[in-house]
Amino acid sequence: MGTRVAARRIRVLLVKTGLDGHDRGVLVVAKALSRAGMEVIYGGLHLRPVQIAKMAAEESVDVVGLSSLSDNHRALVPRIIQELKTVGLDDVLVLLGGFIQDEDVPVMKAAGVAEVFGVGTRLEDIATYIQTHVRAG
Amino acid sequence: MFDKGFLEQLRQRQAAWTAAHQGSFETEVKKEFVSEAGVVTRRLYTPLDLADQGVDYFEDVGFPGDFPFTRGLSPVGYRAGLWKIAQYSGQSTPEECNALWRDLAAAGLNTVYAAYDLPTQLGYDPDHPMAEGEVGRTGVSLVSLRDWEIAFDGIDLGKTMVSTVCNAPGALVIAMNLLTAQRQGVDLKTLQGSSQNDILKEYTSRGNVIFPPEPSMRLVVDTLAYCSSVAPNFYPITVCSVHQSEFGANHVHEVAFALADGIAYVESAVNRGIDVDVIGPGIMWTTSHDHHAFFHEIAKLRAMRRLWAKIMRGRFKARKPESMMCRLYSSVGGTSLMKEQYLNNIARSALAALAGALAGAQRIDLRTYDEQWGIPTKDAEITNIRCQQIVGYECGVGETVDPLAGSYYVEWLTNEMEGRFAAEIEKVDQMGGTLRAIENGYIKRTMLEDAYKYQLGVETGEIPRVGHNMFRQENDQSRPVRVYRADPSVEQRRIEAVKELRRTRHDREVSRALKGLRAAAAEPATADNNLMPAIIEAVQAYATIGEMCDVLRDVWGEFREPKVF
Repeated sequence: MGTRVAARRIRVLLVKTGLDGHDRGVLVVAKALSRAGMEVIYGGLHLRPVQIAKMAAEESVDVVGLSSLSDNHRALVPRIIQELKTVGLDDVLVLLGGFIQDEDVPVMKAAGVAEVFGVGTRLEDIATYIQTHVRAG
Repeated sequence: MFDKGFLEQLRQRQAAWTAAHQGSFETEVKKEFVSEAGVVTRRLYTPLDLADQGVDYFEDVGFPGDFPFTRGLSPVGYRAGLWKIAQYSGQSTPEECNALWRDLAAAGLNTVYAAYDLPTQLGYDPDHPMAEGEVGRTGVSLVSLRDWEIAFDGIDLGKTMVSTVCNAPGALVIAMNLLTAQRQGVDLKTLQGSSQNDILKEYTSRGNVIFPPEPSMRLVVDTLAYCSSVAPNFYPITVCSVHQSEFGANHVHEVAFALADGIAYVESAVNRGIDVDVIGPGIMWTTSHDHHAFFHEIAKLRAMRRLWAKIMRGRFKARKPESMMCRLYSSVGGTSLMKEQYLNNIARSALAALAGALAGAQRIDLRTYDEQWGIPTKDAEITNIRCQQIVGYECGVGETVDPLAGSYYVEWLTNEMEGRFAAEIEKVDQMGGTLRAIENGYIKRTMLEDAYKYQLGVETGEIPRVGHNMFRQENDQSRPVRVYRADPSVEQRRIEAVKELRRTRHDREVSRALKGLRAAAAEPATADNNLMPAIIEAVQAYATIGEMCDVLRDVWGEFREPKVF
């Protein structure tokens, strides 16, 4: 995957997939990315794929970070990626974090997720990954 | 507690001891041993520390079974029998859960601590578009009385207690529990068991909310008032601190925010004209007691018991001792466990069981060794039950009541914790109470700061985690032999089951009952207008959680969370 050039400070939309409300992880990531100099928008809970895509388009983000804990990602992540394409966000960097079974990682990547950050990931590694793949303009 | 002459002598000897061992003190590996909540642990505790805090045996420690219950709620503790063994469990469908819970009961489980799937927790039936991809994933889908009949078929609710983790529609779930027990022939006056039904912590820590805070509180108060006369031995609410802890709150914030929630429930009932001694005895607590900072966990729970007793007697003028008792349903959270070298988690669970026992918990619930890999397997759940049995029966931990009482360290820490809880509650009070502190984002923001600090602590190695940030195994290949995963066909099977239910029940009875529920919900909350009878009728007619929640959503609206980030 090539490096995407952001027009300004890197903008990241972080959001929980589906119905799960455990947002500790995603909020801690939000804090870390913000301290790493990125513009972070936290989407909140219980959003459907179409709402996530709409928000990503409205906020013209460079990165969409999805957080899944309830094992809903197999059903929802491909749908979210499709909705992102529908609103014209073909080249947005999609990341997935949370509780992801090892066997799901290749499935998620095949669906268009650039990287999966599972249990035990260091905050710094997420920030570095984004900075390597999206260059602030 | 100690006479002046003795304390003076001790002060002198301690000073001499300190002077004599300066060299040894320099070998200490850290300059300061400080907890996540900022409590600094001293090198040594002696009676002087208790004297300096003004700890008084009769006022602050006392006897087991007596106010302020620091040493426990019962004068005989576990000498009259172990705590109740619980295990958080729930897999996919009522049928699968029935098989699982029968096996766990046979292994010695006293309390089915039922884990629900997310659609049920959010008031959506399996065929609702919002439920897509979530049905039966995080727990069981139990949406109607019929599902309960299947899930608890052959499990005597008079012997095995049920505790349900379902908060926003908690009142509906309680109705299902009561009706299932009644149909099994259990006298509701003797029915034990509990429901989580603590909506306030959902707004800040777990996110499974449906309605705005006010009608949500109304549902909780209704269950407390209703059960006090219908099922007086059933605990309709367990106010939680475990989820605040899982969100990342430190020990002090965790308990202080839980106590503030408890205060809000009691206040809400009292403001509706309900006597504090009617609802007080129905309150239980779900606290956390993982193996980290072992003594802090024990002191934390002793302090919590003491402070709640004082709050109920002092602030709310409760008269019955049962209203002042802080009953501990103590749980461990999954974040205390590690994915790497997963079998180490069994040691962590056993230590946590010991912490719960030393704190005098009424029920204990542990997380499984495979928790970081997926929904627990039955094997892992049975291992947890065995962990509790080994601690309970083989260690002799319950042979004397509150064995750590009188430890200079534990009593000092208990006192220190209580003071810190009280200070934090005072802050919430000054903000206008817990509802305001939820609405203005204070509680969640405070806990998020703690969570961030914790994460950095683990990443820098300041907070030690064996196998994770120390003693890591290169090329660690260890993984559980089996990892549970919901069968992908579950969603479809559950959709068919709910459609089948709708085909076979009496439509007219359902609509009549839902109409009754709507009318009662539209009326203002008073001491006399309790929604439980209307809910019971709807559940009895086999209305589903989704249908009942739709009615309530329609009347009350839905909650929109405040921005904390």
